[in-house]
Amino acid sequence: MSRSNKKWFSLNLSRKQNDDSGTCGCGKTSGGCGSHSNDAEMSEEEFYHAAVNASIGDEREKDGFDQVFDVKMDRRTAFRKLAASLLIGAGAVNTSCSMLSSDESKEKAQIDWEEQFKGNYKLMTDDEKKNTVDRLVRSYQLRTGKTISMSSKNAEEDVLFGYAFNISKCQGYMDCVSACVKENNQDRNSQMQYIRIHEMKDGEGLKFDEADDNYYHEVPAEGHFYLGTQCFHCDNPPCVEVCPVQATWREDDGLVVVDYDWCVGCRYCMAACPYDGRRFNWSKPEVPEEEVNHNQHYLGNRMRKKGVMEKCTFCVQRSREGKNPACVEACPTGARIFGNLLDPNSTIRWVLENKKVFRLKEDLGTEPKFWYFMD
Amino acid sequence: MMSSSLFVNRSLCLIVFCMVFFSCKHEDKYHGVMEKIEAEGEHYQGVSLSSENYLEGVDTILISEGGHTFLIPERKNQIKLYACTECHSKPLAEMQEGDIKKAHWDIKIVHANEKAMNCVTCHNPSNMDELRSVTGMSIDFDNSYNLCSQCHSKQFEDWKGGAHGKRIGGWAPPRASMTCVNCHNPHQPHFESRWPARFNTQKVKERE
Ligand code: SF4
Ligand code: SF4
Repeated sequence: MSRSNKKWFSLNLSRKQNDDSGTCGCGKTSGGCGSHSNDAEMSEEEFYHAAVNASIGDEREKDGFDQVFDVKMDRRTAFRKLAASLLIGAGAVNTSCSMLSSDESKEKAQIDWEEQFKGNYKLMTDDEKKNTVDRLVRSYQLRTGKTISMSSKNAEEDVLFGYAFNISKCQGYMDCVSACVKENNQDRNSQMQYIRIHEMKDGEGLKFDEADDNYYHEVPAEGHFYLGTQCFHCDNPPCVEVCPVQATWREDDGLVVVDYDWCVGCRYCMAACPYDGRRFNWSKPEVPEEEVNHNQHYLGNRMRKKGVMEKCTFCVQRSREGKNPACVEACPTGARIFGNLLDPNSTIRWVLENKKVFRLKEDLGTEPKFWYFMD
Repeated sequence: MMSSSLFVNRSLCLIVFCMVFFSCKHEDKYHGVMEKIEAEGEHYQGVSLSSENYLEGVDTILISEGGHTFLIPERKNQIKLYACTECHSKPLAEMQEGDIKKAHWDIKIVHANEKAMNCVTCHNPSNMDELRSVTGMSIDFDNSYNLCSQCHSKQFEDWKGGAHGKRIGGWAPPRASMTCVNCHNPHQPHFESRWPARFNTQKVKERE
């Protein structure tokens, strides 16, 4: 196991997950040993709760980002919190050998602690990835009572994802946009959408400044064509280059992904992207519980928080299982083609080799893996 | 004097060499992603992923056309009341005589024009169970793409390669693609115009 060589410090508050946590200095393996609580002013449970409350208090419901940044903090509270954090550590050690009824809140605190101080997903070993995913699944279960499945599946050998979009076929129905919002648990309040469909006038070339990406009339409109944009998963992505904390990177299968827990929300990447591919959570993203897609990936459609960047991941939770992204599956015209660029027999390769394909702003050298073509 | 100028010369060489060496992006072996794809695709070993599970419940047939082998949905089991001859047992010419009740009167053909297309351009009037080509050769309902390709040869090429026709299942092999009639109603092959699935009211507000 990776516990010994973790890149972050963790406490073993939860006894179930730890083989030897049932035993304490007194040698008993079950029940409180009693030797500590007798001479303490507070009982261990009280002490523990007081410490947790002082440390994270009502923010326990909030997500990790809120806990750190979304609280007004003056010097005094900052000191208090720091002290309380130390206290919670001490408290945790203190209470670790007594049987308490509040195992759940303990577990929550344990998860919060470990999540707070975990490392960058990009640098994690497979075991560490699995552990954080397990923690997030458990945390979701403790908080909502619902079970989700979350994958930490890595890129497959011999796979490089690519995408082609047929401009002649797209009818502007926006079924892809709709499917994407649902699949990727995008914020319903701000109506975040990764995909934009631009309605352009025939015969005038690609004029994005004159195009309408929020039309509402019967489509296709006479004399217009439709062109979709989203993150192009550049092979030489400028967004990755500028991230000060390496919270966004290019995976081996070519997907450009974001670790939502590592992102500090500086939006440098958004400014660096020449394709308007990134979306920022200005407010706490909300998805009605009954609409949440429970089939998730750590780097994909898991629930995000306020103040982090997100974008299209070519539906990493689907594509790494061999499925097509939700937009490809939803498109009724077959305008969207997805596949493995390294497979010489794949349909995407045939398109690249036999159709007149082009990409947007090719001169920038970003090498987007998203091509356009016509019939 | 000599040795010091030699030293300057040498260090200059070294600096120039370093500049040249480090200025080229040594992490990028290829000029562009296309070159990379072609080079790395050469030792393609195949992937462990498969679309087979996602094709469950779809009856498919394997076809091989122009060097491309792939699956398409079976057609005959999708046609209600196939075989047609269970009702239309007599040849069309005989059925059109007299006062027999009309069948399929509700089908309107919006496909090319009357000069080019009527029912028997594609249906075999003497055997309703099959289609027929312009030269009178019989074509199975399952392979109806052979009928469409008589006129739409460009689309047929694109379809074989995979640029036309939506994939079924996933991107992973085996490839399964929709056939012509899965998306286009052969009697009215155009796509209907309709309202878009979404309208972003928030975007309207932001841009006001
Ligand atoms: S399209 Fe933008 S966000 Fe996506 S990889 Fe390229 S630069 Fe990054
Ligand atoms: S917003 Fe997040 S992902 Fe983007 S550059 Fe800043 S830290 Fe990196």
